[in-house]
This record gives sequence, C-alpha cells and structure tokens, in this order.
Amino acid sequence: MDGVVSYQRFPKIKIREVKDEYLKFELRETDASVANALRRVMISEVPTIAIDLVEIEVNSSVLNDEFIAHRLGLIPLTSDRAMSMRFSRDCDACDGDGQCEYCSVEFQLSVRCDQDQTLDVTSQDLISLDPSVVPVDVAARSTSSGFDATENRGIIIVKLRRGQELRLRAIARKGIGKDHAKWSPAATVTFMYEPDIHINEDMMESLSLEDKRNWVESSPTKVFDIDPSTHQVVVVDPEAYTYDEEVIKKAEAMGKPGLVEIYAKDTDFIFTVESTGAIKSSQLVLNAIQVLKQKLDAVRLTEDTEEADEQFGELGAHMRGG
Amino acid sequence: MVIMKAMGMESDQEVVQMIGRDPRYGALLLPSIQECAEENVYTQQQALEYLETKVKRFSLSCGPLEKEGRALSIIRNVFLANVLVHDLHFRPKCIYVAVILRRMMEAVLNKDAIDDKHFVKELITHGLERAISTGNWDVKRFKMHKKGMTQVVIRLSFIGTVGHMTRISPQFEKSRKVSGPRALQPSQWGMLCPCDTPEGESCGLVKNLALLTHVTTDDEEGPLISLCHSLGVEDLELLSGEELHASNSFLVMFNGLILGKHRKPQHFATALRKLRRAGIIGEFVSVFVNEKQKCIYIACDGGRVCRPLVIADNGISRVKEHHMKELEVGIRTFNDFLRDGLIEYLDVNEQNNALVCQYPFICGVKYKLVPEVYHNVHISPCGFKNMHFGQSSLLLVAQKHLCVCVNILLLFFLMMWHICYTKKICTFSLFTLTQLWFRQKFVEGTKVHIFETTGSKVHIMIALYEGEAVPETTHIEIEPFTILGVCAGLIPFPHHNQSPRNTYQCAMGKQAMGNIAYNQLCRMDSLLYLLVYPQRPLLTTRTIELIGYDKLGAGQNATVAVMSYSGYDIEDAIVMNKSSLDRGFGRCIVTKKLTVVNQKYADGTMDRIIRPQRVGRDAERMQILDDDGLAAPGEIIRPYDIYINKQSPINKEFSVNSPAGLPDSAYKAATQTYKGPQGETAVVDRVALSSDKDTNLCIKFLIRHTRRPELGDKFSSRHGQKGVCGTIIQQEDFPFSERGICPDLIMNPHGFPSRMTIGKMIELLGGKAGVSCGRFHYGSAFGEPSGHADRVEVISETLVKHGFSYSGKDFIYSGITGSPLQAYIFMGPIYYQKLKHMVLDKMHARASGPRVMLTRQPTEGRSRDGGLRLGEMERDCLLAYGASMLLYERLMVSSDPFEVQVCRVCGLLGYYNHKLKASFCSTCKNGDNISTLKLPYACKLLFQVNCDRVVTVTVHIFAFYLLCSITRVIGG
Repeated sequence: MDGVVSYQRFPKIKIREVKDEYLKFELRETDASVANALRRVMISEVPTIAIDLVEIEVNSSVLNDEFIAHRLGLIPLTSDRAMSMRFSRDCDACDGDGQCEYCSVEFQLSVRCDQDQTLDVTSQDLISLDPSVVPVDVAARSTSSGFDATENRGIIIVKLRRGQELRLRAIARKGIGKDHAKWSPAATVTFMYEPDIHINEDMMESLSLEDKRNWVESSPTKVFDIDPSTHQVVVVDPEAYTYDEEVIKKAEAMGKPGLVEIYAKDTDFIFTVESTGAIKSSQLVLNAIQVLKQKLDAVRLTEDTEEADEQFGELGAHMRGG
Repeated sequence: MVIMKAMGMESDQEVVQMIGRDPRYGALLLPSIQECAEENVYTQQQALEYLETKVKRFSLSCGPLEKEGRALSIIRNVFLANVLVHDLHFRPKCIYVAVILRRMMEAVLNKDAIDDKHFVKELITHGLERAISTGNWDVKRFKMHKKGMTQVVIRLSFIGTVGHMTRISPQFEKSRKVSGPRALQPSQWGMLCPCDTPEGESCGLVKNLALLTHVTTDDEEGPLISLCHSLGVEDLELLSGEELHASNSFLVMFNGLILGKHRKPQHFATALRKLRRAGIIGEFVSVFVNEKQKCIYIACDGGRVCRPLVIADNGISRVKEHHMKELEVGIRTFNDFLRDGLIEYLDVNEQNNALVCQYPFICGVKYKLVPEVYHNVHISPCGFKNMHFGQSSLLLVAQKHLCVCVNILLLFFLMMWHICYTKKICTFSLFTLTQLWFRQKFVEGTKVHIFETTGSKVHIMIALYEGEAVPETTHIEIEPFTILGVCAGLIPFPHHNQSPRNTYQCAMGKQAMGNIAYNQLCRMDSLLYLLVYPQRPLLTTRTIELIGYDKLGAGQNATVAVMSYSGYDIEDAIVMNKSSLDRGFGRCIVTKKLTVVNQKYADGTMDRIIRPQRVGRDAERMQILDDDGLAAPGEIIRPYDIYINKQSPINKEFSVNSPAGLPDSAYKAATQTYKGPQGETAVVDRVALSSDKDTNLCIKFLIRHTRRPELGDKFSSRHGQKGVCGTIIQQEDFPFSERGICPDLIMNPHGFPSRMTIGKMIELLGGKAGVSCGRFHYGSAFGEPSGHADRVEVISETLVKHGFSYSGKDFIYSGITGSPLQAYIFMGPIYYQKLKHMVLDKMHARASGPRVMLTRQPTEGRSRDGGLRLGEMERDCLLAYGASMLLYERLMVSSDPFEVQVCRVCGLLGYYNHKLKASFCSTCKNGDNISTLKLPYACKLLFQVNCDRVVTVTVHIFAFYLLCSITRVIGG
C-alpha cells in the first residue's frame, strides 16, 4: 500500500490501582474510538456465567416464581471459566438445551423455614455442582479476601416465615451483557480525558491571596490548592477536574480571562473499572481486549474471503472498495 | 303568595309584614298579590284548591290520592322539607318562606347580596337527608339520579383508593355547561383541594377533600336548642312578622331552620364558642355571625366539611413550644389539643368569622412587625363595601427586596384568592403583579400591605375579617400544605409548577402501579397491577409521610438525563436503558381473575368438573389441569389452554329423579379456555373455591403475568409529565459521566418550556443532593418557610459539597463515540411512575376475522378481534385522491358483497328461488323484470330495514340495465 500513511499507534497502559473488583489505569496514545470500544466491550461483550433457567419445585414464599427467578439471575457468579465455556446455543454436546458440563452449571436450592424468626434465603444456600462457579460472596468468604467475612451475609433472595419452603433447580449458562444485564461483568466502566491544566502564573501572581482563595474555592472539586508557604496556586489533583469550567467562569467574573487554560488531552484516558465480582477487574480488561481482538479478527478474516460477500453482501463489496 | 295562603297565612298584610315593610319589597310583591286576587284565592282552602289544579297537570301518574290532601301533602312533605311540620302547624314554614323571599328580593334589588355558592357539599347532604326525612323520595318524579349513593372503592392503586375516599361527587347533571359550580370557590379554601379535580365533563364538579378536612357527624339538636334559648334566643313563635325583621336583633338559624332572634349576636356567638372550646358542646358545632344578613347560623348537623385551626389570642398562638414537645414525646395527641381548646374545627361558615394567618413563626422566633416600614397602600376602600364575606383584606408580609419565583407565585395565588373574595374581575396578569411587587403600587380596590419582618423569611397572611393589625388574628393555619389533598400532596414542590400540571398529576397518580395494600398478594381482585420493585420517593413531602405513600409507593427513582437522544424521544417519548430494565426497572405484575360458576339448574341437575383427559384430542390443551379438573397453581398458562374441565347437562329442562345418576352422555363439554395475548407466559397464581349468592360453587383463578417495560408503555413523573417509552437502548450506547453514572432514562428537554414544571427540576436537584448526602429531601407545598421543603440554594450547596455542579448539570460522554457531549446535561434522580396503560393490553391488528351476524360487517373493538374502521373522512380522502375503485374493492368486493334481485318495474327487492331456478318479485307477483345486482350486504339491510319502518326504497337501474343488455347483445 504505497502512499498510505500508517495511522497505527501503540497505546500504552499504565496501571494505577488494582484490587479484585476495582481497577484504575491510564490508556495513553490512542484515541476515543479505541477507548470507547474497550469500554463497550467490557460492559456488554465479556462473557460471564449467570443463572438462566430456573425450575421451581416448591415455592410457598411470598415472592412469586418469576420474581425469584429474576433475583437468582442477577446474582453474580464467579465466571473465570466463562471464556472457555461454550454458549449453550452452539454447544454440540447437548443440542443446545443447556444441560451439559460444557455449557452449563447446575445449582440447587432447598430451604425450609421451621423456626419462628424469618429465615433469609441467601446466595449461600445455592449449592453449585461445580465448585468453580459459585456466587461471588460465597467465593469471597472462602478466600476471605475482599469482603469482611463477618459482615458478609450473602445476597438475599427471599425471606421465609415458618412453614414456607423454597426448593428449586437452577441452570447457569454463559452469556454476554448485550443479551441481559445479568451477564455484564462490569458494575462501572468509565473513562475520562486527562485534563491539561495551564495556570497563567504571571496573571495569578497579580491576584491577592484572598482572590486566589476565592478562585480556588470556586471549583466544586478540589483541583487547585494554595501552597501554604509560597502562597502560590498549585494544581493538586488535575483528575478531580470535572470539566465544569467553574474556575474559568470565575476567572472571567474576576476580570482575569485566561487565568487558567484547561484542555482535554484527546489521546490520554483514565479508566475506572469496577467489576461485579464475577471476574477480577484486571481479568475483565484482559478478557475485553481478547474479545475485541476476536471481533477484529472476524472482520479481518472475512475481508479477503468469499464469505464477505455472503456476510455483508453489497456492503462487503463496498468495504473492499468495489 | 298562593303558597303562603295555602299554608294558612291568609292575610296579605301579614305576609307583607313578615317579609318586610320596605316599599321596594312591596313593589316586587305586588304582581303576586294581584294574581291571587285575579284567581280568586283568598283563603287557605281556596289556595289549596287552586294548587290542586296545578298539581294535577304534572303528576297524572301519581295515582288516586285523596283529593284534598294532595296539595297539602306536597307542601308539607316536599316543599322545603327541611322545615319540620307538626300537626299541620305551618307557621315555621311560613316564616322560613318569608325569609327566603326577602333574601330573593334583596338579591334582585342589590346584586351583591347574592349568597356565595359555597355550599355545594352541604346541598348534597341536605338533599340526601331530605330524601330520607320525607320518605317518599321519588327518583323519577324529580328526575334525579340516585347514582353514586354508594360506590365501590377503587383498588387499582393505593393512591386511587385513598383519593377515592376523599372524593365528593355532586348529584346534579354533569352535562350542563355552567361554569359557576365548577369554579374554585373562596369558601373552599382549606376544605377542598384546589388541584385535585378530573378533566373533562366533571371538571370542577367532582372535588376532593383537603388533607385535614373533616366531615362532621350529627350532634344532638335538643340540648343545643335549649342551650340557645337559655343563652337568650327569643323563640320564633313569640315574634310577630314586624319583629322578625327588626334591625336591632339578629335572626338565629339553627341547622337551616329559624330558631328565633337574639339581640346581642356577638355576645351569643362568643358564648357558644367558649362552650365549644371547653368541650361542653360538640366540637363540630359551628357558629357564624353574618352581619350583612343579620343572621347567626348555628349548625350541628352531619355532612358539613370543617377543618382544624390553631386558636390564637390577639394574634398569639395558643399552641406553645411545650405543647409541641409533649406531642413529640407522645404524651399529647391531636385530641388533647382539641380538648384543651388549643385547636378547633371551623366549618365554611365560621371560617368567615375568623382571621386566619398562615405562619405564626419565623424559624421558631415569633415575628415582630416593624411599623416604621409599614407601607399602607390603601387606594380605595370601596372594594370592601359590598362584600359578603365580611370585610376582607389581604395582608402580604414580606421581606422588602425578596422576589424569588416562589414568592411571586405565592403572591399571585393569594391575589387570586383575594380577587375571589372581593369579587372583582381580575385582569392583571402575573407580570403586572410582579411589577406591582417591585413598584409597590397597587391596583385600585385592592388593599395590600407590605411590611418588613425581623426574620428573613417571607410571611403571608390571609385575613378574612375586618382588621388591619395582626393582633386581631383569631386563628393560625396548622400548615399551609394542608390546603392540598392527598393526591396533590404527593407532588414535590407543587407550588413551583404550572397549576394544570398538578391537576394532571392528581389524575395520573391514581393510575400509577405500585403497592396496593399490605395484603396485596392475598387479594383476589379482578384486575391488579403491582410493581415488582416499588421504591420510596427520594424527594418526599410531609403528606407522603402522613398517608404512608413512603411505605406503599407507586414508582421508582430513575436517574434521568434531560437531553435529546436518537430522535425516538420526540413528543414526550422517553428513551430507556435496557440494562435498567434487565435489572428490574419498571417491571410489573398484572393479575387477572377468571371466575367460573359451577351452575345448579332448576331441575336439580348441575354442572360437574371431571378429570382431564390425559390422552386424546384435548390432552395437550389440558396439560395444566390437575386431576381435579382445575388448573394447578404455578403452571404456565398459554392461550387456548383449558383451565377448567367443566361439563354441563345437555338437557336442563325436565326434572330427573336422581341428578347424580345422570349418564356421561347427558353432559356436554363446557370447558373454559384461556384467551390471552399470544407469546406471553402467564402463570396460574392461585385457585380459590367459594360459593356465590345462589350457593353455587364458584371457582376463581388468579392469572399472573410479569411484564418488563416495552416500547409504548406509559410512564410519568409526578408533575403531570407523561410519556411513552420511545425506544430501548443498550447501556453501552447510553451516555455516561466520568463518575460512571449512566441514566436509566432520557427525557427530551422540550418537555419543559411549555409545561413550566419547575417543580420537576427542583425534584431532580433535590433528589441528586439526596443521594449524595444520604438524606431524604423534602418538597412539601409552600414548605420553604416552615422547613418542610428544601430550598434550591441549600440543595445546590449540598451538590457542590459532593463534587457536583450547583446547577445539577453533569459533563457527559457519548456512549456511542466516547467523545464528550457538547452541552452539560441536567441529570439526576426523578421519581417515575409506571402507568397502567401498557401496549400489551392495547395492541391490535387484524386481517380477516369475525363479522357481525346482522350486518356482515367486521366486528368492532379489540376484545372482539374487530376491524379498523375506514370512516367517512378516510373515504373522502380516497375519493378525493381518485381511488374510487379501491374503495369499491375494499368496501364492497372484499367486504360484504351480496347479490340481490331487483325488480325493474317496482324497484323493490325480489328473491331467487333455487328450486325453480328463477328470480321472482313478490310485489309484482312475477319474475319477468328481475335484474341481478351486487350490493354491500349492509346496503341491502338498510333497504329492508327502511321497508320495515314503512319507508320504501326503490332501486332504479335503467343505465345499469341498459349497459347489461348491451353487453349481452355484444356477447351474443
């Protein structure tokens, strides 16, 4: 391809903070499309396992069957296996009915209240037939990391009073967040552009200390501070800036336009990822990249083959410049 | 006059005296007296006879009543039935009529003396009482509807139920196009909710009680009458007609009857009130002195509306700090306040004798007036001369330069009230009022005082009595938000909204899904809508807490972004986040009840329910049945499933000796099949067996269906802003903030400018502050001065403290591209209600389907799988377009074509004899001139129906016949 400038870039990732369910990292030297693709994939296309089919044998609780099934579905399950599992719709071991070990995990729940106090049926009462797929709070308790084990009483499914019973069989399957939010591994995925803050020092020096203090306090978040010794305005936390432009407005109101200039660096992003616990947040990012790669591969592979015509029809031809 | 005579007041002089000797009255009475003379009516007997002839004319159907008694009995029982007559002793009735006549004439002479129409409610109860007291309540004769005497409580929503309890429906017709009874009357202040009324034909007629309104119960009359006498009321019997209208004493009216006269009205009223406050006479006894009419009204009957007010002595509240502390601790209850004479009930009448003030305190500090800055702009005092409501004036106490939106609205509101009182037609707008406010200039005839207070809060007082100074205040409002009713009380910041929006919300709150009652899951209602995850509103009001809406909510707190998105949000549609729906937002449960009666028949046979077939033709449809032949709870029920395997005897007519011994062949299947929307999975929730009023076994099935919101479902905020779901969009496509907040729904900003629902914006702000700081914020009506509503300034401060913009706007990224949006987006939680109108219950389409037997036209309506009508206007469109052949094809060929035989001679329809294979005209008695014609069946039916009604329709078909014959010739 002569004469075509390569726009290939080599994004860099710098991890700032890692916890099991929280990750903050910088993504540099790329642009919004890449950052957003990563975000979107994390929310909706990284597979996890969630309860999808519930067979209720006995339910004399106050909540009806669909209600309980919905609640069960929303319990996050540890899904480290998810990437290697099959979608039950294209599982050839079980004709897609989702009953085999390759595509599904069975859970059982059988609780009966025989006491006078109300009994909480929680995720801990869910008995998994596969020890690698359990409700996240159960996993957290066994490893005793993350949550405080004493505080962790499980995710409440329903409360039973004396004589009430709940007995069911549930099948968890692999799925993606696009189909239902219960399969989304991400609680929060967001990014922001890194702000580039330039204080006009000369102009700033022309302000009195009182004015400086007023100006600093005009920001709803703590971005600037005044150095107690030098009385200089310093940027303490540029990322706390929410692009609210309050400081710029304040500067204008004070008759000092151009006191500060803030730009968004459109190549640098700061990502915040919070996981539901189904997979570790770091794994979530890795899986997302893998899924994204697969998707790109799918596009690239079809580009040269006949399949492209079938898949995209005229659009495929158009894409190839035909 | 005749009536007066019929009641035994034979002398004209007596009548005139009774009414009043004023020559003006005489002039008005003259025609009536003349008429009497002309008709030869001089004695009671003559009068009765005269009336008898009148009576006959309109009540022929009354039956053979005793001739003499009829006019008399009507006068006795029906005419002014509220005045009791003992042993044909008509004098009290005469006096009553005289007083009424006098009032009428006064009204003729002096327009301003017309009573306010403020007792709609009372009239209803009186009507009811009259119906009972006379006993001969003939519904047909008076053309009165007895409708609405009892109503079935609406159980569709909690608010609907509570709202229904406070409803007041009038007895008279709704069709009349009068504005008078529909208007908001000044006397309704505090008694009836100014917002809660339906739209449409019953607008303003159906009303709702305000929050604190109490409907009185009956008190015993006897002791009260004797008490009145001992307090110096001169008995009516002892007074002559002349004395009746003596100007130095006041007429005492007791429950609408004339009791007597009293010389010192104020004295008497004060004494009665003191007795009431001391609890010696009932708390609902009302004493009202009407200076204008020279009357004291005492009422102790049931069915009046009244409301509690704090009593003030010389403008100082009787309720003190220590009382409130006792209330807080729980030593004191509301009844204790009542018993100790700190609070009393005032009805509409007595409220006119009181000077009520809205806020006694400024943040706990008793206010002091600063007389130096007392601008008494008193342009013309003439406005008060002709007022019925005592001498009223409006006092506006406000801080000098304070002019926020709230205050102007309040001012405007109060101005409107004031105008109602002064009965001046108001022409000034909000704008002029604002101007007035700034310039402190006032329109002639209004009397407005502005004075500064020591606090910084705005003060508004309504004075309903002559009195400029505050020390003359007799009562203090308990809380201003109590003028609103239950439904309007749910609205946060209603005083910031355009008023019709509040009215809309009052109607919509009743349609919102949520919790019905604590026993909602045990109920067997015929239709029930429940929300799966109802929430408590983040922005509450005191009313919400008082009625328990926070425990039985009907909505969810949705994070709303006010922005334009995708174009599927025009015309109030909302864009919803799919992940929110997945997680349970707007999910609802609909239960429907199906009832089957196992009928017993006259001959002793009865229906039977038998074991389902497990094999064979119907086995598949009977899958959900238990062995007892009834659908099992928990089973998924699909359309065409049989839910009860019932059989009924074929022959129910002749009696069988042993009904149980009927053979199987004597029964035919009477199974019931479920008819629900296709492709939806409903579940049998519960099956109940009971017996109906004829002791038949009655089987009730509760069918439950859980629904998630879909395109076209209706949602609404609490500000009369309804909209349908326009599209559902994936979370990753939704905008997000850098904190990771992603809205649940997107609302188009065009919903705001024309609706002016500022309250919704403040709700968003308050809700956002609430979630950030972890405290429920308040938005009670007019609650800012008393601390029952949070101020925008304070809310904004809270927002800033938690790192948000003070304006509630956020910096948002597009979920599709990842780039920041051009504008800051107003985003935060708003309480959203899901309304019961859902697409699933309404969607309908049909290709071909059932037809009506009679007309052979498609059936009408969704429930009958009906067709969609192509009406006259649609037809006109097609004609105008030139597509008449399309019309021919649609309305005739593919609809209901019918071949008729028409006689060319007589033009009537004949028939085709299939046996003889010949057409025949039954009018001409031959088959010679018959033509075959295609008509829509409906058209043929029209001809025949017209013939039936002796309107002959003939068809002349010359041209058509010629055309036919020509083609026949050509065709050979």
